[in-house]
Amino acid sequence: MIDLIEVFDRAEVGPLISETDYYMKRYVPKLAEVIARHKVKWDKETIINTDDDLTDRVFQAAVDLLAEAGAYCPETNRVMQFTRDEILLACSQAPRSATFGEDRERKTMYGRRPDTTGDRPWVHVGGGIYTSDEQIFMDTVEKMASFNIVDSVSVPSILHLRGKDSRVRSPQEILAACKTVRLAREGIRRSGRAGLPIINGISAASQPASMFAATYPDFGLRPSDGFLIDFLSEMVVGYEALQKVAFYNSISANIGSTSTPLFGGYAGGAEGVAVTATCYMIMGNLIFRGTYHYNAPLHSKLHLSSTKPLIWAIAMSNAAIGRNMGYPMVNLPYLGGGSGTKQYHYEMACYMLAIVTSGGNVFSGHPAMAVQSDSLVPDDHKFHAEMGLAAAKLTRAEAEPIAQKIFPLFGDKLKDPDKGMTFQQVYDAKTKRIVNSEYQKAMDDVRSDLAGMGFAVPVL
Amino acid sequence: MGNETTHEQLKQSIIDQDENAVLEAVNKALADGMDPREVIDKGLLPGLNVIGEQFESEDIFLPELMQAALAFQSAMSVLEPAIKAAGGADEKKGTIVIGTVKGDLHSIGKNILKLLFETSGFEVHDLGIDVDLFKFIDKAGEVNADIIAISALLTTTLIGQRDVIDALKDQGTRDKYKVIVGGGATTQEWADTIGADGWSGSAYDAVVLVTKLVS
Repeated sequence: MIDLIEVFDRAEVGPLISETDYYMKRYVPKLAEVIARHKVKWDKETIINTDDDLTDRVFQAAVDLLAEAGAYCPETNRVMQFTRDEILLACSQAPRSATFGEDRERKTMYGRRPDTTGDRPWVHVGGGIYTSDEQIFMDTVEKMASFNIVDSVSVPSILHLRGKDSRVRSPQEILAACKTVRLAREGIRRSGRAGLPIINGISAASQPASMFAATYPDFGLRPSDGFLIDFLSEMVVGYEALQKVAFYNSISANIGSTSTPLFGGYAGGAEGVAVTATCYMIMGNLIFRGTYHYNAPLHSKLHLSSTKPLIWAIAMSNAAIGRNMGYPMVNLPYLGGGSGTKQYHYEMACYMLAIVTSGGNVFSGHPAMAVQSDSLVPDDHKFHAEMGLAAAKLTRAEAEPIAQKIFPLFGDKLKDPDKGMTFQQVYDAKTKRIVNSEYQKAMDDVRSDLAGMGFAVPVL
Repeated sequence: MGNETTHEQLKQSIIDQDENAVLEAVNKALADGMDPREVIDKGLLPGLNVIGEQFESEDIFLPELMQAALAFQSAMSVLEPAIKAAGGADEKKGTIVIGTVKGDLHSIGKNILKLLFETSGFEVHDLGIDVDLFKFIDKAGEVNADIIAISALLTTTLIGQRDVIDALKDQGTRDKYKVIVGGGATTQEWADTIGADGWSGSAYDAVVLVTKLVS
């Protein structure tokens, strides 16, 4: 594989082009061309694809897209170009596993293939939802980490200092990033699982300086955690991302290459999102030297990932990489329904059935449109992890008819989703036990409904 | 060939996002003596309306929207001189300054909105991403804008929207402009809190909002 300095140099030597021309003369026409060339087509009904020939064509289309369109560096206004041979070599040398955590919590996440029913996928829970209070932040992290089926956590965001939110790129943001990590480590320690990894390092940091500061040993992010480096949609590789690549490779940290292809944006519809999402996974390894990929396609208007074409596209990208590259993947589900609602749980069940059977690891979602402060409710995430582990026992063909039964239970609600609950509304402040009977009933009802549809989700 | 047939050809060329066909239809309409305003109002804009509806219903996406907008802009480069030559004045619905706040590098939502504004008959000045707050204000003064549209995707950059409004108040120019905010991290509640004139959760709704504000 070409070395890292050579990758950085590609941002200095490629063809000069404006951003608009990159999109209109390279990315958009090339994407349409490779979709047509490889006959990538969604039938507008299927949720979980089982056609492996189509899956492999999506992978080839993604390779062709990167080889022919390249990536774009806005700081140099140049196209980063890679030959097809360089891309395929990188795919063949991509990591098949990533090891996270410390001491007895040190475990390995593997790249999975579709229809692998005999393994136990990695279980990740949490999300970067804003919290209004340090105690709620600590309680949320402690409770999530205390679930013994959990292998890693994403910690919430706590941006305020002395009652004011910190501004992007400000010195306060650096302090907020450091505070977030210190509180998160303490919350994890209180759960009795001090070595548990944080793999969304970290949502409170918008700039490399904040990320680097939080990595200082006294604050607590460690190379065995996971550090997210994102592509700015679409196909953009900015200097801030490359600065993080330089630093995290220099300390041999786990890098989560992160992408958010937009349905309805430059990537177009389901086919374009499937190919572009797959392309990002290849780029994540080749350009960012990622050890795992954090895949988060999103609807450009609804700001969620649980529409039928998006679930199809996300599952497809996991299957394409699972069959052809083996790079470990987690997928961030942005869901319409608010925390604790039936809609939210049905969306998650449909998503898990599609993604986990297609080769993704387990990652609980969080509310998108209906998000509110303090709406990271840990027991939602445990339930969703249980769904993921149950889905891992199924093949795509077994999961598809169940997903088709679940989808109508939430599909029409995505534009106007049910509002959800907050941590404070669900738990007793002292005992941290669930005291909201409506919350518990919704979860129990959904578990029962899913079992009735052939998807039993045992309590673990 | 009757005017209705010409209108239909103009409309269809926009729907097809075919720049060459648009220019051919526009040049032929002008050569046949059609008023350039009629070319726009009865041919091109109805085509753009269809494009807007197709975009809203997810039959087409951003690339097709951009292609139609580029074709429309090419047509306008022919039609604007023709309108001026005929002694007419430029009839824009309004002038908009748009950008993403300082510290925020996200552009796609803002770009979609810019295209919809342009294709709805507004004059748009796009300042891009990571825009200093005084650039919004200076540009608005320079082009005598009606609207300042400010995008922010990140929670940590929201504050930049408030800064623009506060700076306008400090300068005593707040009443000169309608300020609208949008982007992934924004809500109606946030818009109300900072004293914005409007908020929209989608690009299509933002066009409706701005049309109301300028009327």
